[in-house]
Amino acid sequence: MAPTILYSACVLGAVGLYLLLRPAPRAVTAAGGLLALGGLAWLLKQVAVGFGPGADVGLDPFFVIFSLIAVVAALRMITHSRPVYSALYFVLVVLSSAGLLLLLGAEFIAFALVIVYAGAILITYLFVLMLAQQAPQPGEESAQPEYDLVPREPAAGAAVGFVILALLSEMIFSGVPQLDPALSGPEAETAVWVELEQMPGRFEAEINAVEPGFRFPPERDPLTGRLIRVDEQGAHVLGLVAESAEVVRVDLPESAMPENVQRVGWWLVHKFPVSLELAGVILLMAMFGAVVLARREIELSDDEKREAAGLRRLALEGYPEADSEPAGGGP
Amino acid sequence: MTLALIEPLAQPVLGAYLLTSAVLLVIGVVGFLTRRNLIIMFLCTELMFQAAALAMVAFGRYHLDLSGQVFVIFILTIAAAEAALALALIVLLYRRKETLNAEAWTEMKG
Repeated sequence: MAPTILYSACVLGAVGLYLLLRPAPRAVTAAGGLLALGGLAWLLKQVAVGFGPGADVGLDPFFVIFSLIAVVAALRMITHSRPVYSALYFVLVVLSSAGLLLLLGAEFIAFALVIVYAGAILITYLFVLMLAQQAPQPGEESAQPEYDLVPREPAAGAAVGFVILALLSEMIFSGVPQLDPALSGPEAETAVWVELEQMPGRFEAEINAVEPGFRFPPERDPLTGRLIRVDEQGAHVLGLVAESAEVVRVDLPESAMPENVQRVGWWLVHKFPVSLELAGVILLMAMFGAVVLARREIELSDDEKREAAGLRRLALEGYPEADSEPAGGGP
Repeated sequence: MTLALIEPLAQPVLGAYLLTSAVLLVIGVVGFLTRRNLIIMFLCTELMFQAAALAMVAFGRYHLDLSGQVFVIFILTIAAAEAALALALIVLLYRRKETLNAEAWTEMKG
């Protein structure tokens, strides 16, 4: 694929985004939106032809829909002049990228994104937005402040952004074909089954569900050293059952295969335990930091501090009465 | 997990996911550079996080390695911490000047 096509798609997107960012009549903005979207869709279409002949795979229609929604919502998010709408469009970006993650088979991450981003973080943003909303002054025709209407250096911003996009997409087109080929189906299946045999308790429970009298441990595969063997009939283990000395084959049902949530949890605590602890510490520190930063300073006199601590007031002669003027709510 | 989901991911499909992620990242960068509202600027950083998460899960899916998904959990953690601190700072700044305009703070350039 010629890089010029790539770069012209990026330039098209940049011009469209510039038109979108500038405050302009509705028709110009709409044209800019179409132009930007056209450039980006062209870029996406290059994927089908960009990997040489024979690599032409049809993209999943759900992928196309979700990614277009994500891109359009992201464009609207940075161009909308009302911050609350921007935040709501970001929720749409989160929802559609959760859809993309579902297509990739990452169910846990998809739902965690919706719950944590759309549910928690964005609501915090909305709270702050509404806290910082200025009431329209009487006599002013527009309630929106000027800094939301006029962007800063839209041409330079769009240019820088699309230079980055041109470089990134060039890297994607030249780099992805050089990646190691993905594992083929059977190898991938074996890799997932191997995780089951490392999950303590569950492995035994799954075998016991099929063959109650199974004697652990099962025999190891002499070649791979694994307990679970995978062949054309599916995954199975070999071992002794009850008192008989005969080796039996126990087939594991497909439902015994670890699911995405179980695998993510296992990887999290088995491979990254220290990072997990550190994440907890970071969250605690962020909580302290937010409390310290956002609290109001309240000036207290000595007497009020004593009162707050449950002590008797100092009733000295000549002192002004402490509660004659209660301390204000800070600055 | 159904068996269909552990079929290998074709390289053009991976490229399409990465391209979507790159586009989202670039929109985030452009938004961060051009918007003047502090809160929208921070929203744009969240958009960039989102793009990074998508790229990581796509790579993890291609290599059938769940480190990418685990890393996204850590990204979520950092994003939550960052949102808490950044919004506290914004509230603080807003109380000083009664505006969300980032250019109200240009004297901090020194």
